[in-house]
Amino acid sequence: MALVHLDALYDVALRLTRNRAEAEDVVQEACLRAFRSFDRFNPGTNCRAWLFTILRNVFLNRIRSRGHEVPEAETGGLEQAETTITAHAEPNPEERFLQTMVHGDIERALGTLPLSYREAVILVDIEGLTYREVADVLDCPIGTVMSRLSRGRALLRRGLVRFAREHGYVKEEDE
Amino acid sequence: MNCSEVRTRLPAYVDGELTVSEIAAVEGHCLECRQCAALVGAERELRQLLRRQPRETAPLELRARIRRGIRREAAVGRARRWLPVAAVAAAAAIVAFVLVPSRRTPPPLVADLVDKHIAYAQIERPAELASTDPREVVEWFQARAGMRVTVPDYSPAGIHLAGARLAEAHERKAAYLLYEKGRTLLSVFMVPGSVADATFPGRRVSYRGHEYITDERKGFRTVSWTDGQAIYGLVSVLDYDALLECADRLREERARQTRL
Repeated sequence: MALVHLDALYDVALRLTRNRAEAEDVVQEACLRAFRSFDRFNPGTNCRAWLFTILRNVFLNRIRSRGHEVPEAETGGLEQAETTITAHAEPNPEERFLQTMVHGDIERALGTLPLSYREAVILVDIEGLTYREVADVLDCPIGTVMSRLSRGRALLRRGLVRFAREHGYVKEEDE
Repeated sequence: MNCSEVRTRLPAYVDGELTVSEIAAVEGHCLECRQCAALVGAERELRQLLRRQPRETAPLELRARIRRGIRREAAVGRARRWLPVAAVAAAAAIVAFVLVPSRRTPPPLVADLVDKHIAYAQIERPAELASTDPREVVEWFQARAGMRVTVPDYSPAGIHLAGARLAEAHERKAAYLLYEKGRTLLSVFMVPGSVADATFPGRRVSYRGHEYITDERKGFRTVSWTDGQAIYGLVSVLDYDALLECADRLREERARQTRL
């Protein structure tokens, strides 16, 4: 017997929690919940997306149960402004250095994103879900998925360029 | 579309989430605007970087713990709810479908085609018959397997026929055509049979009045459709616009030949 989506669930949990023990607990609880509520799964839909929805709810509940605010609101004001960020961003020579980024840098840059942007980037860019599926997982309109994604990618790019500078891949004056 | 309209659509464009007419508008604009074209490149690059991220695998111990938990839940549910054993077994079967790959549910045909595309790209001679002549390829399939294969000409789009082979997909004999655009490979599969025995996950896309299914797997884009007699699948890293255009041409050519 093998749990087919377990690796994907664990990978996403790790990126959300950034803590192995916490990720394991979240995944375990999500799997058991999926088992209990299998009758609510609509067979024609993406099973992985359904599992991610459960995983995310478990994760958010754990944050709340510790009396922490779910960091959704912190980004509310930024979303509106964001769609225009890519509109003004011009590609520069630093983009080329993105290719030289090492795994740890991407991990680090992703980790610095606010949760609502991070989850959109993880689900679309890493997990390959469609906007519609991500909107279902995050329980928000597609337009919100798009703006979070756009904002998340812009922040990620900025973070990567900053690391590239730290490594000395690009010089300060190239900016 | 102007620059600002194009740029707000860039993420959706790179993610394959635009409609065909929007894609055409973005690409039309990018042909004339170097800045926007460069932004597309940058957007793609970041996306590919993320796609290539190494993935974590769940520890074996966690896997075992979850299995034990599910077994325990099933047992508790049985005792508590006093459900007939058959109902629990049915529930377990559904969960097995969700969480456990069953030998009886094969992966979708398109997954098979992508794996073949990757495998062929890695071997030294991806084509059994190396040929740039469509007529030679048609005759080869006829003689070799009695198959009537349509070999479309994509050369106006810079996509050139490189060869063919007999492939197998879902334990059925399939025709495989290999095309090249520069160093990029395009695989065209034709699998005799109907959709009834194949699952088609992915997005439904309408292009020039016909329905196609697009799906992305392992970094490759696929476009598939059926005409009732065969299932067709295109696999490549070429963008959806190019693939849909190729699909449309093959469909037209096929329909024309069937009418003859």
